[in-house]
Amino acid sequence: MESELIIKNLHANIEGKAILRGVDLVVKQGEIHALMGPNGSGKSTLANVIMGNPKYEVTEGEIWFKGENILEYSPDRRARMRLFLAFQYPMSIPGVSVANFLRRSLEAVREGNKPLEEGENPSGKMVKRKSIPPKEFRNLLQEKMRLLKVDNSFINRSINDGFSGGEKKRAEILQMALLEPEIALMDETDSGLDIDALKIVSESVNALTGPNLGILLITHYQRILNYITPDFVHVMFNGRIVKSGGKELAYELEEKGYEWLKPVEEENGVSVNG
Amino acid sequence: MANSLATGLTRDAVAALSHHKGEPEWMLQKRLHAWDVYESLPAPLGRRGDLGTFRAVANFHFQEVSPFIPADINGTLPAVIQQSLHEEEALVNERSGHIVQRNASIVHIELDEALQRQGVILTALDTAVHDYPELVQQYFMTKCVPVESNKYTALHAAFWSGGAFLYIPKGVEIEQPILSQIWIDSPASATFAHTLIIAEEQSSVRFVAEYNSAFEDERPSFLNDVVEVYAQNEARVEFCNMQDLDQNVWNVTNKNAILAKDASVTWVMADLGSTVTLANIGATMSGNGSVAELVGVFFTDHDQRFSMKTLSDHAALATNAETLVKGVLTDQSRVEFEGMIRVRPKAQQTASFLSDHTLLLSKECRSESIPSLEIGANQVSASHGATTGQIDEEQLFYLMVRGIHREEAERIIVQGFFEPVLQRIPLEDLRTRLRRSIVRRMSGAYETEADTWVDVQERWEIEGVDEYAISLADKKSEEEIQLTEY
Repeated sequence: MESELIIKNLHANIEGKAILRGVDLVVKQGEIHALMGPNGSGKSTLANVIMGNPKYEVTEGEIWFKGENILEYSPDRRARMRLFLAFQYPMSIPGVSVANFLRRSLEAVREGNKPLEEGENPSGKMVKRKSIPPKEFRNLLQEKMRLLKVDNSFINRSINDGFSGGEKKRAEILQMALLEPEIALMDETDSGLDIDALKIVSESVNALTGPNLGILLITHYQRILNYITPDFVHVMFNGRIVKSGGKELAYELEEKGYEWLKPVEEENGVSVNG
Repeated sequence: MANSLATGLTRDAVAALSHHKGEPEWMLQKRLHAWDVYESLPAPLGRRGDLGTFRAVANFHFQEVSPFIPADINGTLPAVIQQSLHEEEALVNERSGHIVQRNASIVHIELDEALQRQGVILTALDTAVHDYPELVQQYFMTKCVPVESNKYTALHAAFWSGGAFLYIPKGVEIEQPILSQIWIDSPASATFAHTLIIAEEQSSVRFVAEYNSAFEDERPSFLNDVVEVYAQNEARVEFCNMQDLDQNVWNVTNKNAILAKDASVTWVMADLGSTVTLANIGATMSGNGSVAELVGVFFTDHDQRFSMKTLSDHAALATNAETLVKGVLTDQSRVEFEGMIRVRPKAQQTASFLSDHTLLLSKECRSESIPSLEIGANQVSASHGATTGQIDEEQLFYLMVRGIHREEAERIIVQGFFEPVLQRIPLEDLRTRLRRSIVRRMSGAYETEADTWVDVQERWEIEGVDEYAISLADKKSEEEIQLTEY
């Protein structure tokens, strides 16, 4: 059975300010969903809340993944369920080489989660895990790097440290390729890329798509959809999904912009949840 | 005889120690003078409002330790020391010399025969007093670390025992490192280990000193060591120190180097162990064009207290110094760092830099950093910087989103924090040993983490660059993109 990410009536705050105001969304393995919307509509917040970023407080709603309510799970536990986030602004971590980081990450994700015991911290216990022999890891990483046409020199560099915008985004895709998520959230993967870099990144994503990967592609612009064809398009406005449709919706948005979708209540100055 | 050296530090004990060793009169007098200096100096108490490391040492129960633990030199060594002598276990595999001090005595010396023929001397300082009195009289606790430097150097001069003496004649370059080990395996003991290195003109050496302890006992022991390095014209000395004492040993250490014209000295200080460490590390650049470097790494946990003072003393033309210290604190540990750059009035064209960075892993640990400059010349380039901070939550989130447990993510960030300074350590074995020790010290860590870290830093090689791979940094041509067909 394919994995499903189900978001029900999700509300979330940051520093007391409501950002998500009732999001409903279902993403299945094998599907590509584009989530569009103007700046500040809550798209990135949704990605962060799905991964459990402690900066945000969930005030209402549920997030289900593979039949489990993951709302109380720590970010790492969610990741070990093979939920993935390609960051809009990947953090740089000086002194930690990509190779070191990726090997530990892969070991952790492969090890997966033990069922939680009664009263146990939802991040689970840190257990001694099986280590991946260096040679096996090297071969695997090289295979993925060939697939994504990434230069070898990259793995000895510190994570995202001194990377250009394009390099950071490609590094995120490389991690995605290696960790083989079932559902991947891609937060503005196209932002800050020139057209050449955008093509490369899109090709890389296309190389990974298939029946085992579901994608929620968060984007402000329609242009990445020229390279990656979504099965579904959703438009977010003011913390809610206001319209969903097929890929033709994206073309409509390109023509008409977002204004025509702006909820009527907003124009009258009445809050959605009044 | 040895048994007559009872517990407690007294003037009589000084005389008895010298007598027991059968020392010449001049050394006895030097010791007694040092004792008088010790008695006359007040214990340093630090500054008002500091973290209290000096006061802690001042309150150490010196009368409960025994200043001389006799060792049966011909007897078998304890298993831990035996083990450390084995090549594969040792910090330095390929070495040209090796000297081991156990408590108060040197128990093992070896030196490459070719070096012996070239006139290199590696021996116990006790032996050098008899065999090379003029060298010891000239260099032992005179100019480099004078007896009167502070109360603890005076105490050291009164009670020193064992000791490593290394003399390298003019022009002799020692390729493989010389390993020195100090083992403390007796509780309630005081060890006064001395290292004296004289590197004549154009000679060079890499000296690796390892401090270990091995005893299970509540009663603390005390290691008061002094290292003196004389680097004559164009000599190069690298002194790497790995201090991994158990947390029932107190350590007071005073290390200094005097650099003649165009000499260079590198100090690598790795401080991981001990209950309390009081460290003074200095470089006196008294020759024109001399270069000093200090690379320091520390990791403290539990109730450990460190106080570190560094001094780059520029006393000649066109000298150069760089001090880089990085450390991590956790639990209730406390670290004080005082780094001083002193540029004397005639030391024109000085370049001197100092930086100190600490990372705090717990809410209870505390660190204090006081970098300072004393500049008496006007053509000087000098700067210092210090940072103290906690682990960045955004970095943690990033690692956790890749499936890594929070605790492991913290450890990875700590590794990244240390890695640039570890890269400055010239000895691979020491780097590897440090990485392992750091991982071991972080709670919940598994040995495999250390393996991964070491592996990717030291042994990661990718064979053959894929000709179709394109550099991430490069702009891509249309042609290359069309190669991508899925």
